[in-house]
Amino acid sequence: ADGKRDVVDPEVRAYVSSLVTALGGSGADEDGRYVLGDDALACLRDLKKWLKLYDEKANRLDVARCLAESNLVGGDLLQILAAWPENATEDRLKSKIALACLELLVPLTWPLEKNAEQMTVNHHRHIPYLQIAQLGYKRSIINYDGARILHTVVRCALPSMAEAMGDRSTRDEGIIKLLLYFLRNIAMIAPPPNVQYEGDESEISRSATIDAFDYQDIFHLLLTVSSTMGEDFNTQDVVVLDILFYLIKGIDVDKLFVDEATADNSKMDELVRLRKKEAAILRSSQVNAPTRHNRFGTMVWLQREDAKMTTISGQAALTDSTRSLAKMDSTKKFKPPRRALKGEHGPMDFDTPVMLNVQANKHLRRFVEEFLDSGFNPLFNHLRKAIDREAERILEYHPRQFFYLVSWFLDAERARRKCKRPSKSQKDAAPEDLDSFSLVASVLNQEMFVTLNRSMDTSFENKSWQDLSAAMKCFTQILLTVQEMSESPLEEDQEIAENILNRIFYEETTHDRVANITRTYKDQGFGYLDSCTELAHNYLRILEQYSKQNVDLQVRSRRRVRRKKKAARAEGQDEPDDDIVDESDGEDEARAERTSHERKFDFKRFAARFLTQGCIDTFVTFTAYYNDLKPVQLKRAHRYFYRVAFKQDMSVMLFRVDIIALLYKMVKGPEGLDPQSGTHKEWDELVKQILKKCTRKIQERPELVVEMLFSKINSTAHYLEYGYEKQTVTSK
Amino acid sequence: AKADADLGIDKKLEITRAPRAPRVKLDEDRLLSANGIPKLRAKAKHHLKFKGKGHEYSDASRLLSFYQLWLDDLFPKARFLDALAMVEKTGHKKRLQMMRMEWINEGKPQSSVH
Repeated sequence: ADGKRDVVDPEVRAYVSSLVTALGGSGADEDGRYVLGDDALACLRDLKKWLKLYDEKANRLDVARCLAESNLVGGDLLQILAAWPENATEDRLKSKIALACLELLVPLTWPLEKNAEQMTVNHHRHIPYLQIAQLGYKRSIINYDGARILHTVVRCALPSMAEAMGDRSTRDEGIIKLLLYFLRNIAMIAPPPNVQYEGDESEISRSATIDAFDYQDIFHLLLTVSSTMGEDFNTQDVVVLDILFYLIKGIDVDKLFVDEATADNSKMDELVRLRKKEAAILRSSQVNAPTRHNRFGTMVWLQREDAKMTTISGQAALTDSTRSLAKMDSTKKFKPPRRALKGEHGPMDFDTPVMLNVQANKHLRRFVEEFLDSGFNPLFNHLRKAIDREAERILEYHPRQFFYLVSWFLDAERARRKCKRPSKSQKDAAPEDLDSFSLVASVLNQEMFVTLNRSMDTSFENKSWQDLSAAMKCFTQILLTVQEMSESPLEEDQEIAENILNRIFYEETTHDRVANITRTYKDQGFGYLDSCTELAHNYLRILEQYSKQNVDLQVRSRRRVRRKKKAARAEGQDEPDDDIVDESDGEDEARAERTSHERKFDFKRFAARFLTQGCIDTFVTFTAYYNDLKPVQLKRAHRYFYRVAFKQDMSVMLFRVDIIALLYKMVKGPEGLDPQSGTHKEWDELVKQILKKCTRKIQERPELVVEMLFSKINSTAHYLEYGYEKQTVTSK
Repeated sequence: AKADADLGIDKKLEITRAPRAPRVKLDEDRLLSANGIPKLRAKAKHHLKFKGKGHEYSDASRLLSFYQLWLDDLFPKARFLDALAMVEKTGHKKRLQMMRMEWINEGKPQSSVH
């Protein structure tokens, strides 16, 4: 066009634009209304053929580019859809035209993938343009003023959805799929990570999407489909999974479930907190700032041995030796080569946090609650079965989405319970009033554990770290849910939780896997680091609690089982008796004492797996991000170091110069933790104890001075800690 | 004189580039040299003193600067933490591991039974 060389074959452009023109238009003589062309349906079908037979067949994107340039979506398709009134659903021609519009919208909004092997010159040429164009499509679709476009599109598929699953034709199934894929595309479109969107971000943000989904009743559709999964719907589960994933990835569950009353307060508190944090940063930099102008020209000599001198400029060097040494260090230019961190940045990235506005927060929260009540079990159960059976529709990335969503919704369920509890002030509410955990039961059964374990194994072997990260998140949330279940007042919940914990406790392969994953962190990115430390922390914590479970509790649980058996027998259902039934109370106690003793020993052995240098290095790497970590995350690191140094008595493993330097810097700065925060106090205490042990140990065993530089193998560490060689390996 | 008439144009010019000076590395040799760990051990024996209880942080700071100055002498070009990482890496080498065992065994109480 414009006489310059066109990026698209001019003939193609001519054909396509003449089709778009023939589709219809608006003019002054029709008061600006949109009027369909005479052969609009045929035009739409032709356009579809162009997309299919030219773009798809020849693997180009030329037609898509032409359509984007001629503003087909905003100028024609949306106008046509908007002109399809609610009461004209019976009109055959109009509904056909609406469907034809949908058939064009889906390929136009389809995610553009960049995989280097299959891309042609044309792809490189058109994709950046089309990505921006898709943002425009999304903006005009969810913000369309004249009508509820998404809602209208749903109406296209309603007749097909109304049919019973068995009676649907292939065409019906196709239409339903088309609709769901359209919603998926809308949910998925987001500015690509390296592109700055020039329009108003808030018009295509997650909040805007959620608001549109709520206003246009899409959430109702999603709830209907997911709650009847397996009855009325079958193969659509993966698309629903897709939609949910793009809707909620990256959203912070805790922020979603703050009470509305406290929400306003917390906004203020948030501001105050951030101001305080900023003030702390300013304070620490002011302490270190020069008190004179920058050309004051102080110069300090540092007297070294052998009559050597080091010169350091700047006033900072005057005040204390630590800072002069820091200054000396900071002037060095050499940087060793470093590997970049891996990590996902594309559409599958779920580690980047997303903020919602108040309105969207409310809408999403309502949807999440309703989903937990009705859709969670049917949908995720159905999906799990499909994944197990390796159904054809399950693509490579679906397990990842599945595990991420399970973890997210379990977290949400716990957050919701926490929210509810204070309002129910009377503690002695009848047990029937309390919710059991059956709402999320479908992901707590044995089959789920099998799926999860297998998935963790394969993704660990195949080095697909993002998959592993999602699976670890899922495992962590299951553990936390089970733990909460074991504290539930409902006896049944307690029993189930106990069974699960019992199984996990004695599963050596899982122990090994968790320890191995923690040990082998290298450069998988912060999201992965966060998931694996979180899993290790909670796994250790929950198993420790289980091993400490007092004798009393076990006696009680045995009694409970016996009572049940007796009741069952009284009812006449004679089952083959277990040995438990015939025992007396006294025997119970002795037996319980024995098991609790064994468990304690088992736990000690298990926890020792987390004492390797690899695990410690992983947690040290995690802690090095201390200035960006949340209090919960800092606590996680704190507990781990505490466990290493004081519970397992292997503080020697922490005596390495870089670890000591990190711990020192965290507390004493510069750029340390904020001295006025609570976390600082905790760390201060811990670090002080570790340092004390360290200096004492150096005096005790001078050879540690050298070993402080290196990673220690376990036998050396044992000798340094206790002063004698480990004689025998503690047998099983 | 005839040979110089063509100003030596036909002579093949040999361009020799002086080989780049080998990069200084913090490797086992450097670490085991007189300036390396032996010096660290000697210095630690005489100069590393701690005040003990109540002075944990100042003791730690002394310890850290002790290592920092030693590393600055040994390998001035790298920053403290980078150099520490390099030293740690060499610790996995066979030779150094043997030396480490030896140093530890020196400190052990000599037992007669083997």
